[in-house]
Amino acid sequence: MYNTSDIRNGLKVEIDGAPFTVTYFQFVKPGKGTAFTRTKLKNLLTGNTIERTFRTGEKLPPADVAEHEMQYMYTDANGSHFMNTESYEQVAIQSDVIGDDSVYLLEGMNVNVLFYKGNPVNIDLPYFVELEVTYTEPAVKGNTSQGALKEAETVTGARVMVPLFVETGDVLKVDTRTREYVERVNR
Amino acid sequence: MVLRALRDALHLRGFLEVPTPVLVPSPALEAGLDAVPAAEAWLRTSPEMALKRVVASGLPRVYELGSCFRAEEVGPWHAREFLLLEWYRVGGSLTALMDDVEALVAAAAAALGRPAPQGWQRRGYGTLFTEATGLDPHTTPAATLSPRDADDLDVALQRRWLEDVEPRLPPACFVTDWPACQAALARVVQVDGRPVARRVEAFLGGVELANGFEELTDAPEQRARFASSARQRQAEGKQPHPVDEAFVEAVGHLPPTAGIALGVDRLVAVLCGWSGIARGRVG
Repeated sequence: MYNTSDIRNGLKVEIDGAPFTVTYFQFVKPGKGTAFTRTKLKNLLTGNTIERTFRTGEKLPPADVAEHEMQYMYTDANGSHFMNTESYEQVAIQSDVIGDDSVYLLEGMNVNVLFYKGNPVNIDLPYFVELEVTYTEPAVKGNTSQGALKEAETVTGARVMVPLFVETGDVLKVDTRTREYVERVNR
Repeated sequence: MVLRALRDALHLRGFLEVPTPVLVPSPALEAGLDAVPAAEAWLRTSPEMALKRVVASGLPRVYELGSCFRAEEVGPWHAREFLLLEWYRVGGSLTALMDDVEALVAAAAAALGRPAPQGWQRRGYGTLFTEATGLDPHTTPAATLSPRDADDLDVALQRRWLEDVEPRLPPACFVTDWPACQAALARVVQVDGRPVARRVEAFLGGVELANGFEELTDAPEQRARFASSARQRQAEGKQPHPVDEAFVEAVGHLPPTAGIALGVDRLVAVLCGWSGIARGRVG
């Protein structure tokens, strides 16, 4: 069990049957009262944030969570398969856990997988991935309008808005947090 | 400049500055306060007990501006050592204390070249609590207020206050008439058939700035509150605060008096728009 003095950003605790991580905390004490710690906590399953106040001395149960670096291998009917880079253990993660992130998974890519009570519940992609363009409309000569974008389809199926000069076969650096094109990578 | 402005404002209002000992035999009454031990005694958590003895000895308007010390309090708005301004007025009421605070805050703002807070509101604890939670703090059982605190009404009220009421306070606000279980050293009176503590807290920008009382003048009741605080501290595995007998005796000789303490570090920080009081102090 954690004490209120253990509270710090990133501490993972179990509340009402779900794992939460502390994202904000502050010591508060009314002049004529007892001490409390005010917190904001993010639900690791849903991403929702809640506010909770803990009285000094109150116990907080730790959340049964673990994070492992895992390498993406392939996806089949049983889910997307990953291998633990330390233990070489393999797990299949269902598409509802991975969600929209699946379009950035490249074979051999390392991601952080969060396990809750032994089950994978979330994956964290690297901030940047490099994806090859499999198709985009050829550039139209003479169209030099600044800031114009077109759609490009990439090797993983992710569609990215790119500047007009990008061609099929180019490799793009994409920010997985904003899902936006960053730059063209030379190979 | 700020300290001088505060002193000038108090002198204008007829208050006399009285320095009292920093090293004291009993550091506090309230169970929630932890003192810093020093030289087989304690560093004061406030000058309250010493100043009340001065008032009981016959001085009608006194104040002290000086450092106070509280252990176990560290955070953006807490420091182990802080500057407290505390004053007492014989015959005074919570209304007079609130007038004082408004005048002193305006004087400090002027000294800092900042605009004085406008639109101070004076609100009852009960109405604020009910507006925020839909519950009456004077009659609702602890289990309904906060299921986690079913066995402790005081903690249940504090938790709902911190979670629901304090974050919604007006920018400049006095809160009066607290639940009797949070009376500390205030006298308790019956209002609409409910016991309420004649206590006032000032909040500026959401920060607790000052706490005042219409003071308890009943020595046996004072002794009973020391005992209740000692029981609470023992239950929490802490050393009880020793009873200061000279203080208890002085309480029996106090004329009707109102007194209040204001955190000077917090006042300056809020007026300057800082996000806390930390500024290189060792505490």
